Amino acid sequence: MIWLTSLFVIFLVFIVPGMLASTLDIIPYGDQPGYNSNQRLAVYGERTVSQKFISTEKNLAAIGTSIRNPNLKNKKEIILSLYDEDKNLVRTLTLNGQNFQDGDFVKFVFPEISDSEGKIYTFTISSPLAGPEETVEVFYFGGATENILEYTYDEKSYPGGLPIVTFYKPNSKLEVIKKVYSNWLSRLL
Amino acid sequence: MKKLIFWAILLRLLVAAFLFHPDIKTYNFQASFLKKGVFNIYTYLVDNKKSLTLKDDFVYFPLTYFAVGGYQWAASPIMGTGFDSWLADASSTSVVGNPNIFKYLVVLKLPYLILDIWIAFLLKKFFDKKEDGEKAFIFWLFNPFTIYLIYAFSNIDIYPVLLTLVAFLLLKKDKLMQASAIIGLAAGFKLYPILFIPFLVLKGKDLKEKLLVGVIPTLILTAIVLPFWSPAFIQSAFVSGLTTRIFNPGFSIGFGESMIVSLLAMSLLFFYGWLVEKKLNLFNYWVILLLAIFSFSHFHIAWLLWIAPFAVILSVKKPQLSLPLFLIAVLSLLIPMFYEDRSMAISLFRIYSTWYDLIPTPFAILEKFYNPYNLQSILHSIMAGGSLIVGYKLLRREETK
Repeated sequence: MIWLTSLFVIFLVFIVPGMLASTLDIIPYGDQPGYNSNQRLAVYGERTVSQKFISTEKNLAAIGTSIRNPNLKNKKEIILSLYDEDKNLVRTLTLNGQNFQDGDFVKFVFPEISDSEGKIYTFTISSPLAGPEETVEVFYFGGATENILEYTYDEKSYPGGLPIVTFYKPNSKLEVIKKVYSNWLSRLL
Repeated sequence: MKKLIFWAILLRLLVAAFLFHPDIKTYNFQASFLKKGVFNIYTYLVDNKKSLTLKDDFVYFPLTYFAVGGYQWAASPIMGTGFDSWLADASSTSVVGNPNIFKYLVVLKLPYLILDIWIAFLLKKFFDKKEDGEKAFIFWLFNPFTIYLIYAFSNIDIYPVLLTLVAFLLLKKDKLMQASAIIGLAAGFKLYPILFIPFLVLKGKDLKEKLLVGVIPTLILTAIVLPFWSPAFIQSAFVSGLTTRIFNPGFSIGFGESMIVSLLAMSLLFFYGWLVEKKLNLFNYWVILLLAIFSFSHFHIAWLLWIAPFAVILSVKKPQLSLPLFLIAVLSLLIPMFYEDRSMAISLFRIYSTWYDLIPTPFAILEKFYNPYNLQSILHSIMAGGSLIVGYKLLRREETK
C-alpha cells in the first residue's frame, strides 16, 4: 500500500506532466495579448479584416484568436487566408461558424510552414456568405507589439490588431517535454 | 512511525504544491474579505459583484468562511504582499505563471494537511485492537484516493469529514447527544451531515432522547446560519446547485411529479432502520446512506471524501470488502474525469504549463467515437451496483460497531 501510493504520487507529480507534454503537436508563442471586449470588428459579406504579423519561429502551424458569434447566428463558412510578404496566398483554412461558441478562442490549424521564422505574413478573416444578421466579430487592440504589427479594416490600416496567438510545430516531442520541465523547474528553483 | 508520517507528509506536500484546482483560489479570494472586516460574505459578494474581479457566489456554509478566512488572516505574514492581488487575479494564465504559486498552494493547503493527519490518528482510536488501529492509520495515510481528493482538488470538505468522524467516535462511546451536537457543527461547514439526523433520532432510547438528538444539531445549525439568513445566503449556499444536486429529480411518475431516486433510497433506509432493523448500527447506515448518494446522484468529486474515513474503517473491519471498495473508489474517481470540465483532469496540471490548454479533455477525445455521457452512465451504473451490494451486506446484521 505504501509503495503503491508513493508510486502513484511520483507518477502524478513527475511523470504525468511529461506524458501530457508528449501529446502536444503544436505549441504557442507566448500568451494571448489582453484586449478590451468592447472593441470589436464585424466580419460578414465583403467586410473582412486583415492582420499583419511576424512569425517568430519556424514551422508556423496555426493562428488563434477570440471570435464572437453573437447568438450563434453565423453558421456559414469563416475563411482564414494567409499571405506571405509578396502577397502570395500560402494557406487557406475554412471553418464553419456553427462549430464554435460565442467568444471562443478559435484556432486555424494548417500544414506547417517550415521556413516561417522571422518572416512577415498577413492573414484575412472573412465570412463571404454571411449577411449582416450573421456577423461574427473579432476583438482588437491598439498599438503594435513585438509580432502583431497592423490590421486593416474598411480599407484603412491601424497599428496593433487582433489578439492572436501563433502556434508552431515543435522539432520533436522531446523538445516539448524538456521545455515544460525546464519552465516548471525555473519557476520552482 | 515518525518516518512513516514524514513520508506521508512529503507525498502530500508534492501534490499540494504542484496540482492546482481553481476552486482554492476562488474560495480563498472570497474568504480574504474576512480580514477586511466583512462578516456576512453572502450579501457582500452579491452587493459588490460589479466591482469584484471574481464574481462567483460563496457556496459554502458560514463556518467554512470563518475557518478559511481566519487561517488566511493568520498566514498572511508568510504570504507576502502580492498574495491578495494573486487571489483577485481573474486571468487564468498569470495565476498559474506566478512564481509564488507553489508557496501559496502549500500554505493554503496546510490546514488540510493538519486535519488529514489528525484523521489518521482518530482512525487509530476507532479500533479496540491496536493492530487494527495501526492498519487503519496506514490505510488512511497511504492510499492514493484521499491524497488526490484532498490536495489536488483542495478539498474544503475535510472540515465536516473530520467532524463526522469525531461524531462516530462519540457514538462508539454511546455519547449520542454529543455526537448529534458535532453533526450540527459539521453541517455549519457543509450541509450534508444533517442527512444523518433522522438516523440519530432512531437511535434515541426514549422519546425525550429522540427529541433532543433531533433538536440539538438543528439548533446548532440554526444558530450558525441565522445571522446570515438572507436572500443572498439562500441563493448562494442554501439552495445552491451543489447543495440541492443530491435531490435532483430521477424519473417522472406523471403529472409533473418525479421520483427523486437518492431521496427514495434514503427514505427506504430510514424506514428499514425504523420498522425492520432490531439493533441499529449507525456506522453501517451512514456508509450505506453515502453510497446511496453517490450511486444515485451526479456527485461532485469532492464529495467522495465524505465516505473516505469510513471506507477505511470498513476495509479494516471487513477485509473481504477491501477489494470491492477499492474498485468502487476507482470507478467513482473515473466518472468525473469524463465530465465536460477541464479542471477535473488536465487543468490540474496547468502549473507545469499552460500549453496543456491545447490538449482536449477526455470528454472531447471520447466524443469523437463514443458518447461520453454513455460512458459516464456505464461507469456510474457499475459503481452503483457494487455499492448496493456492499450496502446489502452491511444491512445483513453484521457487526461494524
